[in-house]
Amino acid sequence: MPETTSLFDTLNELLPEILKATGETLLMMAICLSAAIVVGGALGLLVFLTSRGQSLERFRSFNLVANGLINVVRSFPFIILLVAISPFTRVIAGTSIGPLAASVPLSIAAIFYFARLIEQTLRDVPRGVIEAAEAMGASPVQIVRHVLLVEARSGLVLAVTVLAVSFLSYSAVAGVVGGGGIGDLAIRYGYYRFQTDVMLITIVLLVVLVQSIQFLGQWAARHVDKR
Amino acid sequence: MSQTVSLSSFPAPAIELRGVSRRFADPGGRLVGVLPTSLRIATGEIHGIIGFSGAGKSTLLRIVNLLERPDAGEVIVHGEDLTRLSAAGLRRARHRIGMIFQHFNLLHNQTVADNVALPMRIAGESPARIRERVKVCLDFVGLAEKADVYPGRLSGGQKQRVAIARALAPEPHVLLADEPTSALDPRTTLDLLGVLADANRKFGVSILLVSHEMEVIRRLCHRVSVMEAGRIVEQLNIADGRIPEGSRLASWLSDFGAGPAASPSPSGRPDADSGHHFALEAAHA
Repeated sequence: MPETTSLFDTLNELLPEILKATGETLLMMAICLSAAIVVGGALGLLVFLTSRGQSLERFRSFNLVANGLINVVRSFPFIILLVAISPFTRVIAGTSIGPLAASVPLSIAAIFYFARLIEQTLRDVPRGVIEAAEAMGASPVQIVRHVLLVEARSGLVLAVTVLAVSFLSYSAVAGVVGGGGIGDLAIRYGYYRFQTDVMLITIVLLVVLVQSIQFLGQWAARHVDKR
Repeated sequence: MSQTVSLSSFPAPAIELRGVSRRFADPGGRLVGVLPTSLRIATGEIHGIIGFSGAGKSTLLRIVNLLERPDAGEVIVHGEDLTRLSAAGLRRARHRIGMIFQHFNLLHNQTVADNVALPMRIAGESPARIRERVKVCLDFVGLAEKADVYPGRLSGGQKQRVAIARALAPEPHVLLADEPTSALDPRTTLDLLGVLADANRKFGVSILLVSHEMEVIRRLCHRVSVMEAGRIVEQLNIADGRIPEGSRLASWLSDFGAGPAASPSPSGRPDADSGHHFALEAAHA
């Protein structure tokens, strides 16, 4: 059984590389998910609040501009975005190679992706509940804090889950331009050097990561949902 | 100014609408809403608004706390013209205007106690005061033992009781009730009317209630305004639970049997046939 032996040999041999790549992937994920949750979350919230019939409807012009911007950024195939903004990436990260540099386009894509997810999740909060809070004299900030974030919380957890899974795979794309991470490993060994066993290892690794994220996300969403 | 003199002998009105109007197109493109209308509700009064759907009764109710901002007119609640207030001023005024809804509109991810606490948290009350009022109001609606339960585990009638406790928690001057029993069965409806009458008696809260159910209006209200096509076409005193003969409302009743729309027929209950009137009973208590 030379096949099995060689797979384990490869695994053993590449273990330091695999660990490093996994660390880089987690670093990229941590940066782009944080940016998405903070900036994208706020953007999605504002787009929701300024939509028709909501409490900041008077700022409809913001809604139109932000909506357009989200659509424009989301129409870029990720690999094109990666290349297109590389001058900007160089300004921010000082380089266009490596996991930190890759985190810049990843963050930009994640922000607008998450903004749309959040806006759509918040639409599931029944209008009547928001109206009840308005009738109590709640300010827009209080409506966000006491109603939207409370009633939509399981949807929000699931939105973060979808975000994390999508950007795990986007971060692998960053490998194409030397972004580092698990995708980079797959490209360098599995694709360029035709090492199918390395490809297999990276895919298994990604599957395990996706399964864990999805499981955790669904568990957390169920846990916070009292409806 | 004989009118001024005669009115001054009554307590100051809890709600006064002066020439309010609000017109908008319904989904079919028909212009609906409220034509210029005036309405005065005395402190401590339970006032009903009845009419067919599309008559503008819910719009009129929602004008009182400016959920619908009128195109024209003045909305005076507890002596203050809400239409002249700033956004912050309006929020402050709304802290003392309770509201309950047909579909309850509770937060499903918060416990009963947290739901009742919500308006007081919004008003910035102290935690100690909130705890005290939550207890008083849950005791009042008879749901003290459900304080830590989530609304998903309650029946419709219990949910509406929680909504009433929530509305009463900040000690409102007035309570607006938008079809509060329309999602409930006849027996639960009767129980709930009892709770509303008790709230009026015990806390002195004035109630403005919209319903298409004649039984609800007849059993609870001191006075009723009949709405048709955006106007109040008739105002009647029904504190004795009787609809004056010859009134438009009386002719509706004879045309449609129970009322302008399907109304609860709580047959089989001993007090159903006796014309039991909650508010009247409250007045004598």
